[in-house]
Amino acid sequence: MADVLDVLEKDHVATESLRRSDQALRLPVVAPPTSLPLDPPLVPQVGEQTHAVGLRAQRPDSRNHGLGLTRYIDDIALPGMLYAKIKRAGISSARIVRMDTSKAEAMPGVHAVLRGSEIPTNVFGTSIVDQPLLADPIVRQAGDGVVAVAAVTEQIAQAAIDAIEIEYEPLPGVYDALQALEPGSHKVHGGDTNVYARKVIRQGDVEKGFAESDRIYEGRYYTPGIEHAPMEPFTSIADWDANGRLTVYASIGRITLARVDLSRTLGIPISRIRVIGTVVGGNFGGKNEIRHEPVLALLAKKAGRPVKGRFTRVEEFIASTIRHAFYMDYKTGVTTDGKIIARKVRMVLDGGAYCSFSETTLGKACILSTGPYVIPNTHIEGQVVYTNKTTAGSMRGFGAPQVCFAYESQMDDIARDLGIDPIELRMKNFFRDGSMTSTGQVLHSVKVAESLQNAVKKFGWEVR
Amino acid sequence: MKPFGYVAAKDCEHAVALLAQYGKGARVLAGGTDLLADLKFSPHPPPEVVVDVSRVKEMKGISLTDAGLRIGAITTHGEIIESSVVQQVMPALADAAGVIGAHQTRNLGTLGGNLMTCVPSMDSGPTLLALDAQVTIAGPAGRRTIPLSELFVGPRRTSLQPGELLVDVLVPKENLNKPTGFQKFGLRKGQALALVNAAASAWMNDGLFSEPRIALGAVAPVVIRAPKAEAYLAGRPVSEEAMAEAGRIAATEAKPITDFRASAEYRRDLVAVLVKRCLVAALGRATPNQKELAS
Amino acid sequence: MNVTLTVNGETRSAEVPPETTLLVFLREYLNLTGAKTGCDIGDCGACTVILDGKAVNACLMLAAQADGRDVITIEGLATREGLHPLQKVFEETGALQCGFCGPGVILSAKALLDENPAPSKQEIRNALAGNLCRCTGYVKMIDGIQEVAETMRSVPTPALPAASKGEQKHG
Repeated sequence: MADVLDVLEKDHVATESLRRSDQALRLPVVAPPTSLPLDPPLVPQVGEQTHAVGLRAQRPDSRNHGLGLTRYIDDIALPGMLYAKIKRAGISSARIVRMDTSKAEAMPGVHAVLRGSEIPTNVFGTSIVDQPLLADPIVRQAGDGVVAVAAVTEQIAQAAIDAIEIEYEPLPGVYDALQALEPGSHKVHGGDTNVYARKVIRQGDVEKGFAESDRIYEGRYYTPGIEHAPMEPFTSIADWDANGRLTVYASIGRITLARVDLSRTLGIPISRIRVIGTVVGGNFGGKNEIRHEPVLALLAKKAGRPVKGRFTRVEEFIASTIRHAFYMDYKTGVTTDGKIIARKVRMVLDGGAYCSFSETTLGKACILSTGPYVIPNTHIEGQVVYTNKTTAGSMRGFGAPQVCFAYESQMDDIARDLGIDPIELRMKNFFRDGSMTSTGQVLHSVKVAESLQNAVKKFGWEVR
Repeated sequence: MKPFGYVAAKDCEHAVALLAQYGKGARVLAGGTDLLADLKFSPHPPPEVVVDVSRVKEMKGISLTDAGLRIGAITTHGEIIESSVVQQVMPALADAAGVIGAHQTRNLGTLGGNLMTCVPSMDSGPTLLALDAQVTIAGPAGRRTIPLSELFVGPRRTSLQPGELLVDVLVPKENLNKPTGFQKFGLRKGQALALVNAAASAWMNDGLFSEPRIALGAVAPVVIRAPKAEAYLAGRPVSEEAMAEAGRIAATEAKPITDFRASAEYRRDLVAVLVKRCLVAALGRATPNQKELAS
Repeated sequence: MNVTLTVNGETRSAEVPPETTLLVFLREYLNLTGAKTGCDIGDCGACTVILDGKAVNACLMLAAQADGRDVITIEGLATREGLHPLQKVFEETGALQCGFCGPGVILSAKALLDENPAPSKQEIRNALAGNLCRCTGYVKMIDGIQEVAETMRSVPTPALPAASKGEQKHG
C-alpha cells in the first residue's frame, strides 16, 4: 500500500515539475493580428453558441474593395484581347430562316463570327440539357443569342452584329404558366406537353383532414419573376494556349460545373480546360452556370486571340436567368381554435424557355411549401412548365421565398377570419423539437417560436 | 456608342452656327445625362456632330435682373438646389430640382436639358409653368422670347427649329416670391420618374386666391396647365376645402395614360391629392400676413 | 481628340475618339479600374467619381466634357500614411460584401462629407440614392458614414494607419 502511495506521489511531483518547466519555456506573448476580432475566440468551441449577433464582422477582402484595387473580371485585360458581342433574337418564338453575316465579316476589325451550327455540341443545362448557346434554328426566348462576333473594340463588335441580317419565321408562343398547361397551347420544345418536371409529396390523408376541419380556406397566390441584377454584369474571357488548352476567366460561382459544360459543348477533354473564378461582383444564384463562355472560347479559337464578352444591363434581364414566377393554390383546413390539420398545395412554376435549375427550385419549393408548421395531413403537387419567357433558374432560396409569401399570406387571412392574433396562430402551429416535416424529416434544434418571440419584441408588435 | 463628331461651342453664336450648319445631323449636349443614355442605346444612326454647350459662359448661372430671375440653360439641378437666390425667391424650383434623378445626375443634368428633352414627366416644367416663365431662344435669325408653354409640343418634341438653341429661362419679376408648391410622386424617392408631378402658385393677399396657376406633369403628352381649376380658385377665399376642390377639378382636366408604371385612374387620383398638397405648400410659403388672413 | 485633365492630383492626357465616356477614359486609357461599369446608363452609381468636388456618373458624360477639369477616383483616396477614414470604416463595419458598388458609394459619401460635415441619416440616404447595392444593404454604409463624420469633426487630422492601432495596444 505504501508503495502504491509512493508511486502516486512521485507521479504527482513529476506532473507538477513538468508544469513548471512548461510555464518557464513559454515564449513571450506574440501580438495577434490586428485585423481579426480577438474577442470572442476565433475558433468556435463545440456545442458553444458564438457571439456573432451585434458584433462587427470584417471581410478579409474588403480593404481591397474599398481601395478600388480588387480586380473584377472586367478589370482584367489580356494582350491582344478582342471583344465579343452576341446578337439577341429580340423575338421570343421563331425559326431562323436566313442569316447573312457577310457585311459583318467584311468589316475592318472583325476577327471572327460564330453561328450556332459551328458549336460542336450546341446545348447545355444543369439537369435537363435543353438550352442552346446560340439558337439554331428555333428561338424560344427574346434573349436567345443567334450569332456572335469578336472584334478589336466593343464598338466594332456592336456595329458588326447590327449589320447581320436575319430573317425569322414567327412561331406561336406561350407567355403564361397556366396557359402553358392547356392542351392546345404552343409546345415550346415540341412534344405533347410543356411540363418538364413534377413533384408530389403526400403525408397522412388530406381529404380526411379536410373532412375533420371546422373551416377550410382556399386562395391563389402569385409571385412574379425577378432578375438577380448583380451589380457586376456577366463577363468572361476565353484564352487558348498553343497546346490547345483553354483558360476561361469568369465571374462564375461554380467553376467545376462550368468545366463540365465547357468540355461537353466544346468536345474537348476536361483536363484541357482551366476555369479561373474571379472575384464575383454579386451572384445571388444567377452566376451558377455557364452563359456565353463556350461561345467566347470558339470565337477565341477562330480569331487566335483572347476574347472578352460582357453582358449589357439589358442582356442581364433578357439573356440570363431570373427567379421563377409561381402560381400557388393553397387549401388549408383548420379547427376553430386555429390548429391546422390539413393543407393541399398546388403550384405551377414558370420555367421560361429552358430548364436551368428548375428541378432544384421545384423540389425545394414543394418541400418547404407547408411552412414551419406541424400539419398532419398534407398533399403537395408541383410542376414547372416551359414558356417563351426569360429562362428561370436558381435564385437565393430556390423557391422558398415564393411559397413563404403564399403560406404566410394565408396564415394572416386565417387569423383575421378566426379572430385570432396572427402571432398566436403561428405559435400554435409552429414546429417544435421532434416535429416531422411533410417529407418525414424529424427536426432538432427548432428555434422558430423563440425567433418569432424575439422578433415580436423587437418590432413592437404589442404597440402596433 | 456609335462614332460621332464633337465640337465644344465657344459661345451661343458658335453653337447656333454649328446647329444651323449640321441641321438634323447635330445634337446639343448640355449635361449629357439624357443625350448619352439615348446615344448609347438608340437603334438610329448617330448624329454627325454633338455640339457641347457646357462651356458657354452666357448659358450658365443664376442672376436677378430687372426683368426677373434668369437661369442659364446649362445651370445644373445641383446648382439650382444650392442657389441662395432660388431658395429665397423661388423655393419650389429648388424642391423640383432636388427630386430629379439622383445626386450624381443632378450634378450633371441641366435645367435646359430637362426642358428640351421634353418628356411629360419632367420635374422642372410644372413649377416654371406655374410661374409664367419665359424662355430665350437663339437662332440664325437672332433671339426670340416665348412663353415656356409654347416650347412644349409633344413627347420629346419642342417648338425649336433646326439651328435654334435654348439660352435661358426667365421668371418675370412680378412672380418672384409668389407662393408656390411643388409635389412629385414616384415609385420610390430617389432615382424615379414621376408618376405624376404638379405645381401650384397663387397670391393669397386679403385671404383670397388671386392669379392661381396649376401645372401638371406626366398626365398628358406635355406638361399642362389646369385652367378650370385655376378659374375655380380665382377670387375664392383661401380654405382647405377650396384647395381640395381645385385638386378634384384638376383631376378632370388631366389626360393620363395607363402604362407599366401606373394606371390612368391612379394617376388621376394622384393629381387631386398632389394639387391640394401643392396649394397647402404654397400657403406655407405665403407671408405671415397672407397666412393670417387665410386662417 | 485630345483630353487632358487632372486625375487624383496628376495631369493625365490621352488621344481618344469623341464618343469616349469619362468612364471608358479612366478605365481603358488610364487603367484606373476602380470606377465600375454596372448599368452604363446612370442608374447604379458604380461608376461614380468626383468632378470638381461633385459626385457624378462617369458613364453619363463624355471624357471631352471633363477636359481641363479635376477628377478624383477611388484610387486617389488612400495615401501612403493610410486609408481614407471612409475606406477604414467601411472595412471595419463590413459595409462592403462583393464590393462592386464600394468605390462609388465611398466617393458619393466623400462628396457629401466634403460639403456637409454633419449629415443626418436622411441626408446620407439622399446622397446615396444614386448608388445601388445588391449584397449588404445600406444600413452599415449609413452607420459607417455617420461614424466617419463624427470622428472627422472631433479629429481634424486623417486617421492613423491601421497597423499603429495594434502597436499601441500591445506595445
